Amino acid sequence: MPSLKLRSNVQHIILLLLVVAGIMILSWWIGANPVKDLSVSVPGADSAGVAYTAALENVSIGEFFERLDNRETVLSEDWPRFRGPDYDNIYKGNIQLIDRFGAGGPEILWTAELGEGHAGPAIYDGKAYLLDYDEEQGADMLRCFSLPDGTELWRRWYEVRVKRNHGMSRTVPAVTEDYILTMGPRCHVMCTDRETGDLIWGIDIEKEYESEVPLWYTGQCPLIDNDLAVIATGGKALMIAVDCATGEKVWETPNPDGWKMSHSSVMPFTFGGRKMYVYSAVGGICGIAADGEDAGRMLWSTNAWNHDVIAPSPVCMPDGKIYMTAGYGAGGMVLQLSVSNGSYAIEVRQEYKPAEGLACEQQTPIYTDGLLYGIMPKDGGTLRNQLICVSPDDCTNVVWSSGQTARFGMGPFILADGKFFLLNEDGMLYIIQKDTRQYIQLDSRQVFEGQDAWAPLALADGYLLLRDSKYMVCISIKS
Amino acid sequence: MDKDKAQSRRNFIDKGMRITLGLSLAGVGSVALSRVSAKKWVWQIDPFLCTQCGRCADYCVLKPSAVKCVHAYDLCGYCDLCGGYLRPEHTERDTGAENQLCPTAAIERRYIEEPYYEYVINRDLCIGCAKCVAGCTAFGNGSLHLQIQHDLCMNCNECSIARVCPSNAISRVESDAAYIIKGGFTREESGG
Repeated sequence: MPSLKLRSNVQHIILLLLVVAGIMILSWWIGANPVKDLSVSVPGADSAGVAYTAALENVSIGEFFERLDNRETVLSEDWPRFRGPDYDNIYKGNIQLIDRFGAGGPEILWTAELGEGHAGPAIYDGKAYLLDYDEEQGADMLRCFSLPDGTELWRRWYEVRVKRNHGMSRTVPAVTEDYILTMGPRCHVMCTDRETGDLIWGIDIEKEYESEVPLWYTGQCPLIDNDLAVIATGGKALMIAVDCATGEKVWETPNPDGWKMSHSSVMPFTFGGRKMYVYSAVGGICGIAADGEDAGRMLWSTNAWNHDVIAPSPVCMPDGKIYMTAGYGAGGMVLQLSVSNGSYAIEVRQEYKPAEGLACEQQTPIYTDGLLYGIMPKDGGTLRNQLICVSPDDCTNVVWSSGQTARFGMGPFILADGKFFLLNEDGMLYIIQKDTRQYIQLDSRQVFEGQDAWAPLALADGYLLLRDSKYMVCISIKS
Repeated sequence: MDKDKAQSRRNFIDKGMRITLGLSLAGVGSVALSRVSAKKWVWQIDPFLCTQCGRCADYCVLKPSAVKCVHAYDLCGYCDLCGGYLRPEHTERDTGAENQLCPTAAIERRYIEEPYYEYVINRDLCIGCAKCVAGCTAFGNGSLHLQIQHDLCMNCNECSIARVCPSNAISRVESDAAYIIKGGFTREESGG
């Protein structure tokens, strides 16, 4: 009997010890923090500072002027704005252009040294206009060149602090018979007399509309339509129209959703009997009445297309399709605009990732003869950096591509005389036959040893203006 | 006298043969030694061939991999919107974990001044997965790239990553030029 009792006591003690050990292990397990040595990634760990504000800097827009030469040139054709006279990047003049470069060609007619950037020229009445950034003077500088020989005729500028951020200048002026409209890297809009270069007015969009300057500075090319300066501001207003003659605001479109300015430019479009301005903001895409009593009213909008960085502009087609694309993984989208009893509706027809169909990071595709032509972005899968052709009915169905040996980076291209003139970002100029069935490269030639040649091309009277990050060159492509 | 002369000739031939044999052995030995010791070869990634497939993280015999991301600062744009740091679906451009592309938070984002940000690789956290390299290559100028770190690499006779590299980006390079430079990245900066 005693031995049984002893055995029972031992069992109780062992059981008790096991219970105590179990409780201790459980307590340790509950109390231990296995991630105590890890730090949490929370916003603000980069000690991000507050951006310098326009309020700290008073910019006297258009303050300085210098005339350098008085020569006159009479030419008949114009390329008066971003994407040309009809906003489609298609040259429709009658001058026959080369199919191939001659021996040793093309000849560089003249070269102008520029501040680092990607601003493109506009051409009007034998003169080339470009909003440069002069790094020595620290100034946005509107420069006027004689188109045939490159002589600089005059320059108007204002001092503004711009740091190098993948270049500085970015936009193309809008030019009419009477006016030149520019928009600088930090959203300073300047209107001058085209002939004399006299300052008419200026607006600091960042300051006046509390707009946020887009990443890497403004890429929006301003628009003059019926002598109204049309600017997508973001901030306190989404879009404004300003009388070029007086600087008076004609209308402002409210911005209740706080959409921000993108690099995309405003594209005029007439559909359903109404003229409108189509704009792809950071926040969404919309159409704003361009005329009539309700000018400035938003006719339609959708936030289905909303990306951080949007450089290409809307491609509007006669049947109401609107093609949009952007880089940084955004891909492409085809929207369908419809109208019923004066009311507009917009819906998404197609949406896809960049490796699945036509997408572009920087250049806006060209729409012609029912097809879209564009250069694929770096994340475009096997088609990366190739020129491809698709139907807007199905942008993922590639009609043709330029192939693995013909990749073009982010260079600009223009359609003229049935040929694409395409500049890759290293300064190689290609002539490509416009064809709806296949890629046909006619010729190519290294025009200059360039770097980051991203600026839109300009063509008038057979003179083609091209630039890289530092230089603008003029060549003749007249046949 | 004749006997001494014959003895001397024999000695002369004997010595001559010994010296010739000795010199030959020394020559062959020197050549062999020079071939063995003059050059050392190590494995390295050519960043211009790399397609950022991610296999460097999985196939190295070391865990974590001896392949690390390095940064060519002179190529970097110091952008706020960095494709190597931020996920494509990021909601904000900040250091929140939900916005970061790196699965191990190995990239530290530092504000310099408006509008510049610096991106620094924490080598101890980097696993060589190349997600940041792919993002930087697709959306930036490719300043982030992979390099085998020679203070970590076992220099295996047959590199197990090289066997599976789809772009044949890994090959043996001379140890005195052990890093394939992109931008201004140098061996000193690599910590190797």
